[in-house]
Amino acid sequence: MQTLIELEPQTDCSSSTVSIWQDVLAQAVTGERIAAMNYASLAEICDDPIEAEEALEHAAIERAHAAAFVAAGRRIDVEVVANVDGKHWKRIRESFLRCVAERDYTGCLIIQEIMLEAVALASYTRVANVAPGNLGKVFAAIAADEQKHAAHAIAILKAERDADPARFDDKLRRLHDDVMTTLAKMLAKDCSEGHCEVCVSSCVKPALFSIDLSAAQLRGASLQQYLKTLDALGLPGEVTLTWIAQLPV
Amino acid sequence: MDCAASGIASRVDFALVGHPETWKAAADVFSALRGPERTPLLDDEIKDILPWIPPRAVCRVDVKSTTHTEVHGLYIDAFIPPDRLGGACVRENLTRVRGAAAYAIKAGARIVSLGGFSSILTEGNFDRLPAGDHTAFTTGNTLTVAFIVQGIEKACALQGRRLRQSTLLVVGATGDVGSGCVRCLASKVRRVVLYARNVERLRRLAAELEAEGVDVEITTDLDQLSDHADIVICAASLSSPSLLLNGIAPDALVCDAGYPKNLAPHAESSRATVFFGGLGQITGGLRFDPDLHGILNRHPFPDVAHGCLLEGIALALEGRFEPFSRGRGGITPEHVMEIETIAARHGIRLAPFFNGSGPLPLQ
Repeated sequence: MQTLIELEPQTDCSSSTVSIWQDVLAQAVTGERIAAMNYASLAEICDDPIEAEEALEHAAIERAHAAAFVAAGRRIDVEVVANVDGKHWKRIRESFLRCVAERDYTGCLIIQEIMLEAVALASYTRVANVAPGNLGKVFAAIAADEQKHAAHAIAILKAERDADPARFDDKLRRLHDDVMTTLAKMLAKDCSEGHCEVCVSSCVKPALFSIDLSAAQLRGASLQQYLKTLDALGLPGEVTLTWIAQLPV
Repeated sequence: MDCAASGIASRVDFALVGHPETWKAAADVFSALRGPERTPLLDDEIKDILPWIPPRAVCRVDVKSTTHTEVHGLYIDAFIPPDRLGGACVRENLTRVRGAAAYAIKAGARIVSLGGFSSILTEGNFDRLPAGDHTAFTTGNTLTVAFIVQGIEKACALQGRRLRQSTLLVVGATGDVGSGCVRCLASKVRRVVLYARNVERLRRLAAELEAEGVDVEITTDLDQLSDHADIVICAASLSSPSLLLNGIAPDALVCDAGYPKNLAPHAESSRATVFFGGLGQITGGLRFDPDLHGILNRHPFPDVAHGCLLEGIALALEGRFEPFSRGRGGITPEHVMEIETIAARHGIRLAPFFNGSGPLPLQ
């Protein structure tokens, strides 16, 4: 992941938007650290040593992503502080750890590769489109990276669903209610449950318009990516539409 | 047992491709899907959600014929945002319609009805849609024309109007639906006035009618009508209800067959009798899963739907999985008679009369 850090973002953010980028990067770094922790936990329940090794490799990749985002922050003169104990991220991590405790490999993949990756991929892609200079390139490069390794997991999950669609869909629904509800709250226009404990001061979402983004865009793009992934797994569209409709707005 | 929820694939005889007519209609569907325990969505909230949803099924649709034949299908929404039906978004909307068509093919639908703008966008050129070896597409416009014509004739009879003495104005006359209506009604009225934007197409249609001895006038300006039409069919492809009809007879009979509706809301308050046309009613049995009765089809009478969607259902009930309506102005009175006979055989009939204010005392 050396290449991502070597992209050397320049100091090309205006002073009025630097604090916004600081919060955007803080959310991204926190997400990457959670992903790294999730993969490391996943490695512990893999029966197949090759799968365990792959999970540890993924953990290293996610740590490198986090480092690249921190470096990108440094280049625009901001310190990026992650908080994996921020209320939403902590809840997501706890959901993942419940799957680990149950040695539920499929559940772990669903949370990390279907849900968290959908949000990461869609959000990074949108951010890459508006981020100035090399900061945009860092987001774009990491989005491309995330897309690459999601394909392998989707193939595993598709095979799992084909074997027993009803059982798979039931599990996905339970995890959706748990994890996607939390992610939807994170991406909602307003933080109805108070400060997320990741943004440095007040919530960054109302200020996103200053960088040509909005919480609605990030939410919409993330849910679109999620639905496309569920379609690829073969879930009925009328079922997943209802799931999406029931999420917090 | 809910097959969809349990992941069991079930038979898909037909698919109906549509899009919401208004933000309110879309918000109502999403609020129903959210369930009564969650706060209903506001119009502004749905505007932040709907444009991101990839085309997909909204519900399963089961239809029973009065002959007891049953068919099973899907209502697939292309999720075209209601405020983006205009010409500036054609490419984006065509992508959505293609996505909806691909969804129908993947689901195994044997016939697909293209409702509203989804058929207008393909302009009858089904080559623009993804290929499916076992899936036929129909615009559904022939049954729409059948119900418009039936509606005009029935309303005239109920109001004691003499169709033969009437001047018929067709707005959107050169479109697939408009030209079909003209061909069915021209020989039954005294005079025909054709309104559309494209003068060349108007001239071609007028020449066709004149060759059959029809008294016809063409216009591209509704304010310059030489005759006060007393029967009006509005079948223009307008992205919002904006049509004003100032030059028609004050007590005219007006059939608004647009989707979205053509007439500006206050146009209905004149002395004219306005009814929403091109609609039929399923009398054998209709079931939605999830139950979106009266939400997906927001009409004051039960089991009413647009003719374009009902055509696919009628063809599926008949076992005729074929591109019955191909678009591009090819609807003839013979085709209309054929599809209305098929529809009637399965209990799909002209809907009772109503407009934006509710049922009309015409029944």
